[in-house]
Amino acid sequence: MEILVCIKQVPDDSVAVRLGPDGQPDLTGAAMVVNAFDTYALEMAARLKESAGGRITVLCMGGETAKDAVKTCLAVGAERGFVLAGPELAPTDTLGKAAALAAAVRQLEEEGGQPFDLIFCGREATDRPTGQTGPQLAERLGLPVITDLVDIAADGGRVSAKQETEEGWRRVEAALPALVTVTKPAYDPRYPTIKSKLAARKMAIPVLSAEAQPGPAAAQLRLFEPPRRQAGVRVKEENAELSAIRAVELMAAAKVL
Amino acid sequence: MPAGYQEVTPDLIEALRAAVPGRVSVGGEVNEDFSHDEMPIYGKAMPPVVVEAKTTEEVAAVMRLCNEARVPVVPRGAGTGLVGGAVATHGGVMLSTARMNRILGYDPENMVVRVQAGVLLNDLAEDAAKQGFLYPPDPGEKFATLGGNAATNAGGMRAVKYGTTRDYVRAMTVVLPTGEVLQLGASVSKSSSGYSLLNLMIGSEGTLGVITELTLKLIPAPKEVISLVVLYEDLEACIGSVPKLMRSGLQPQALEFMEREIVRLSESYLGKSTFPQVFEGTEVNAYLLVTFDGESEDALTDLIEQASEVVLEAGALDVLVADTPQLKKDAWAARSTFLEAISANTKLLDESDVVVPVNEIANYLGYIKQIAGGYDFEVKSFGHAGDGNLHIYNCSNTMEQAEFERQVADFMRKAYAKATELGGQISGEHGIGHGKRQYLASMAGPEVMRLMAGIKRVFDPNGILNPGKVCGE
Repeated sequence: MEILVCIKQVPDDSVAVRLGPDGQPDLTGAAMVVNAFDTYALEMAARLKESAGGRITVLCMGGETAKDAVKTCLAVGAERGFVLAGPELAPTDTLGKAAALAAAVRQLEEEGGQPFDLIFCGREATDRPTGQTGPQLAERLGLPVITDLVDIAADGGRVSAKQETEEGWRRVEAALPALVTVTKPAYDPRYPTIKSKLAARKMAIPVLSAEAQPGPAAAQLRLFEPPRRQAGVRVKEENAELSAIRAVELMAAAKVL
Repeated sequence: MPAGYQEVTPDLIEALRAAVPGRVSVGGEVNEDFSHDEMPIYGKAMPPVVVEAKTTEEVAAVMRLCNEARVPVVPRGAGTGLVGGAVATHGGVMLSTARMNRILGYDPENMVVRVQAGVLLNDLAEDAAKQGFLYPPDPGEKFATLGGNAATNAGGMRAVKYGTTRDYVRAMTVVLPTGEVLQLGASVSKSSSGYSLLNLMIGSEGTLGVITELTLKLIPAPKEVISLVVLYEDLEACIGSVPKLMRSGLQPQALEFMEREIVRLSESYLGKSTFPQVFEGTEVNAYLLVTFDGESEDALTDLIEQASEVVLEAGALDVLVADTPQLKKDAWAARSTFLEAISANTKLLDESDVVVPVNEIANYLGYIKQIAGGYDFEVKSFGHAGDGNLHIYNCSNTMEQAEFERQVADFMRKAYAKATELGGQISGEHGIGHGKRQYLASMAGPEVMRLMAGIKRVFDPNGILNPGKVCGE
């Protein structure tokens, strides 16, 4: 099975980022890492490959540093990786990104002589989480899309996905080729071994050129920080019963109930 | 109460309230937290009075008043100790430095920082990182105070490369039991100026003076850090590779060994499976967690490649690389929650933190496993493989406390005797406090104890400061 995993390089989301004096996010101290949802997508793809056989290709849009992101993936299950360099796109321009990615996918398929059976994306990026790029890429490629996977199985030209829903999960099937987006599964991404890390370090990462895209369909008007959370109200009456009554009174007064 | 000590009187309370207005709690006002540390098996004791000082002057006033009145004083930081050192076993006044929590300032050119004693290790670590510095000592308990760290000469995981708290205390302000305020040490890197009272104060566990301010050495923060998780089929191979790694000259920052059972316990506590249990069909029974730091990713990659060669040659099954912030966090979270995971799953708990020569770790743990079978409690161990400091836990959910204590005492006597026989020491980083006093006395011998008691008398003629701890009656 030919598998493609699309990844994005983002600032480490465990570091709290504030707006700097210039009104832009101050990323000092936040290392560039592979988007967490993309690491889950790669792990899910690697497990699928181990059970069903195949090859994993990783594709990352970006500049020179995107190669580091690709190398990280080559150490944990991917066989080959490409960087897609090209015109600077506005951060809001998911349509432009999807179009550039779609063109790159076609190019890779043409050069490799065979189409991808399954394309994995993370459900969203942790830096600008729109959740749009995956489904838009599917649209561009004319593929069925299943979002928010927590598990996957593929058999006889079909894919069976466990999709997370508001209530729990459901099973969704699609014919291959297809595109899926992945949320946090029950397992964690694997560690690279020293051998796989050193091998990945030596691998060449070819750079593809993205085609110029028409202007963005959406524009960013303003960047601002979410309002600080107000301190909560502490309810502490004489005993638990009175506290509960007081809490209900407060909620009723605030029209929560 | 031993002869010579006096009860807290209403007059003394009034004088304390005048000296430290608004921060004196008496009787029922005292929070239960002040009655114990993190190892309550050594006994709880509610202090009759708690004073929460904010300045050196307040500490000095409290000491003067209590010394005059012959009332015991127990200094206390965050109360995270593990040997009952900050428990008011003799009543009197508990003197908390927890509210002395200001970072007073950095001297970037001399690479030192001045802090009040109640600043938490975690707070300094985070603040120093913002300034581009590393405060290297990192005891497992990040919410201990720096004053407490100095008082116990706390160690931690990075000790293997960077040493313990002692190596980072340049100077301190200390209040003597008689109320005088002393400045010890200086912001310099060398000193040959008489007896080092600074070093005597470090590790004195609040028996010689109350540390109120510290000048601590910092180092430039390493740019890159990477951790390795090394998998072994058995503990012998795991421990056996440690001296080889140490001799390789690669200078790991931290080097921890872990056994299968304790890793599983911690993973189930965290609800997250991090370390592989099987490698290519072989059961993994022991792990080394190794951290390296360096100036560039390339230099560090070369370093871990060499380190991997050393451990693979020494019998490791494989080497995993924690090279992203998330993987590093997960690997160390599993290690850092051992004590929490054990505490949460255990009704009766006691512990020792012996330190043995690195080449005797396997031998020593073999002995511990051999004698453990003779008791009704479980024995769980892990430790700092790079410096021979071992944490050995006695755990029971079924035994009666009196019987548990009786059996543990017997176990400890043997365990400490063996550590001493192998050239080790009773405590690597927790201290002696109240809980380990009898073992110190029997392992150190009468001459050493006589000298310690003599030193104690010089500093504290009335014996009011933290009585009954380390060498006290």
